[in-house]
Amino acid sequence: MSRPDPYAPRGLALTLETAGAWLLAIVWIAPLAYAIWTAFHPQEFSTRFVWNAPLTLENFARVLEAAPFGRYMLNTFVYVTFVLACQLVLCTLAAYGFARYDFFGANVAFALVLAQLMIMPDVLIVENYRTMTKLDLVDTAPGIALPYVASAFGVFLLRQTFKSVPKELDDAARVEGASPLQTLWRVYIPLARPVYVAYALVSISYHWNNFLWPLIVTNSVEARPLTVGLQIFAGVDQGIDWSVICTATLISAAPLLVAFLMFQRQFVQSFMRAGIR
Amino acid sequence: MDRRQFIGGASALAVGAMAPGAVSAQAAQEISFFYPVAVGGPITKLIDAYAADFQKDNPGVAVKPIYAGSYQETIVKALTAHKSGTPPVTSVLLSTDMFTLIDEDAIIPFDEFVKTDADKAWLKSFYPAFMENSQTGGKTWGIPFQRSTVVLYWNKEAFKEAGLDPEKPPQTWAEQLDFAQKLTKRDAAGNVTQWGIQIPSSGFPYWLFQGLTTQAGAILANAAGNEVKLDAPEVVEALQYWIDLAQKHKVHPPGVTEWGTTPKDFFERKIAMMWTTTGNLTNVRNNAKFPFGVAMLPAGKRRGSPTGGGNFYIFKKSKPAEQQAAFNFIKWITTPERAARWGIDTGYVAVRADAWDTPAMKDYVAGFPAAAVARDQLPHAVAEFSTHDNQRVTKALNDGLQAAITGAKPPAQAMKDAQTEAMRILKDYK
Repeated sequence: MSRPDPYAPRGLALTLETAGAWLLAIVWIAPLAYAIWTAFHPQEFSTRFVWNAPLTLENFARVLEAAPFGRYMLNTFVYVTFVLACQLVLCTLAAYGFARYDFFGANVAFALVLAQLMIMPDVLIVENYRTMTKLDLVDTAPGIALPYVASAFGVFLLRQTFKSVPKELDDAARVEGASPLQTLWRVYIPLARPVYVAYALVSISYHWNNFLWPLIVTNSVEARPLTVGLQIFAGVDQGIDWSVICTATLISAAPLLVAFLMFQRQFVQSFMRAGIR
Repeated sequence: MDRRQFIGGASALAVGAMAPGAVSAQAAQEISFFYPVAVGGPITKLIDAYAADFQKDNPGVAVKPIYAGSYQETIVKALTAHKSGTPPVTSVLLSTDMFTLIDEDAIIPFDEFVKTDADKAWLKSFYPAFMENSQTGGKTWGIPFQRSTVVLYWNKEAFKEAGLDPEKPPQTWAEQLDFAQKLTKRDAAGNVTQWGIQIPSSGFPYWLFQGLTTQAGAILANAAGNEVKLDAPEVVEALQYWIDLAQKHKVHPPGVTEWGTTPKDFFERKIAMMWTTTGNLTNVRNNAKFPFGVAMLPAGKRRGSPTGGGNFYIFKKSKPAEQQAAFNFIKWITTPERAARWGIDTGYVAVRADAWDTPAMKDYVAGFPAAAVARDQLPHAVAEFSTHDNQRVTKALNDGLQAAITGAKPPAQAMKDAQTEAMRILKDYK
């Protein structure tokens, strides 16, 4: 089976490409490597790199003592999962409607969805806050999640994917007696799996890192996600302690990093197939 | 079951793990209080204790502190809530945000609550230097709470090694330069191993720069907050002095120096003298592994430093009864005893003169005389730079300063450009 790839670089091109890849990899990993170094060494070594510097877990103890990270982690997890679950359901149904049904005003409605893509969520903060106040949802996990559950990007992406599904498969399912929802479930969703994985990754990383809206809409430890909890260590008034900041950052980013490393192959393949760059 | 519980419950079912929504069933009147610190630090414990004590003294009123991050994040949060019609009742925010809050119609002056003679005496008890950033147009909009000034920290060991008297900090600009020259150490290759002095210039260089301009005899902004004088000859002279430390005399690290890591550079003996806030006092005390001193900033034509830090504000859209309760809380938390305790616990400057006469404060100063330096400097202190549309005007000044420090523009030109930009922004407020 293995034939040499005619497009694979050879000779000088290969050297250049390899060097470029290494350079990018080093640039990418340097901050992470620094964070790991600083987190596991005492404060004196945060800017001095001595190979035999003593290792310590003291920074972790200090961070965990300074902030209820377990609680923040749980909040972030709840918030991210809740958003993603709602997004998947809503976007799938909306995309299916737009892709396969010709109803009155479909184009106008889709244009409105596209217009929403152009609006930064940050400009809607005041209006969203007012809505959350009226719903009595300020300072709750649903309050953080609700403005994001209908995702224009998700609708757009899935609609394009569903449109590329051959109509014959749909027809065949109908002939077999499948209802519209069964068709969606048995035909469209399985075929769009790579897109779902890619979209989920984008959504999770966006919401895991989301800061401004959660900061504004939450008031208490019980509702705040990691990002808002993390900034306790970034206060510059009292001077910056790099070891603690790096440790806290590492704790916050670890679940995503581990997940990415574990599912790296699937993610990369999904992105290739889904065409999101 | 109300809506919040329902949705909380529904999402718990949906995702499998979710604590019930906020539990809040109280008969007491609740006063929401935004405080600019993130959750979990030692300061939150102090604030929580104040809130609990106040409730003990005033059953029926519950002050609910909400920790909102940095000053910047707190004002974003407070103004968002204000625009949505549900502001906090009171908040501690930067004293320099006064004009912004007035322009947004977010706060009310304290004057309407000050009725009795005792109230009037209370309002007069704060240091005038702090009130400069709290009053405009004849009204008091903010009450000083956590205030600071810039002071000079010096490493006594480094002084001894350089042949200087470790107990005598520099008193004038000339001495400061002279000391810095003696304190700058170079290795055989000519690389600097210890700089004489560092005046940080990242983030908010205008604040430390204001120390220099005040000493040079300039006042940057008027009390109405609609006129600035950034290109006055004294201002350029102050900037030239700062830049010369680095570029001409080479006793100050070149380029923009980082505010946040300046104390760390000091601990690691990379710098022998530093300018920074009194708010760093506890940090330096805990982390400096050598004897250090704290002094007033050296004098140019005069001594001088800006004040800094946060004031209490009361928000306009809250209910009158809540505002009154918040006023009582603010009065309660700024009694001499509590102002003294707060200063001792945090390192902020106790905001009223009689706080320094309390036994607790006297004991503290006797054991740690450095704590009183900021107070002694107050008669020389001026208002922190604050104008209408403060963020943009301050940015114009900061950009000018950093352009001059990095050598992108000559000082006079940089300040002239900053002045033009600032006055363009301010022309709507004339």
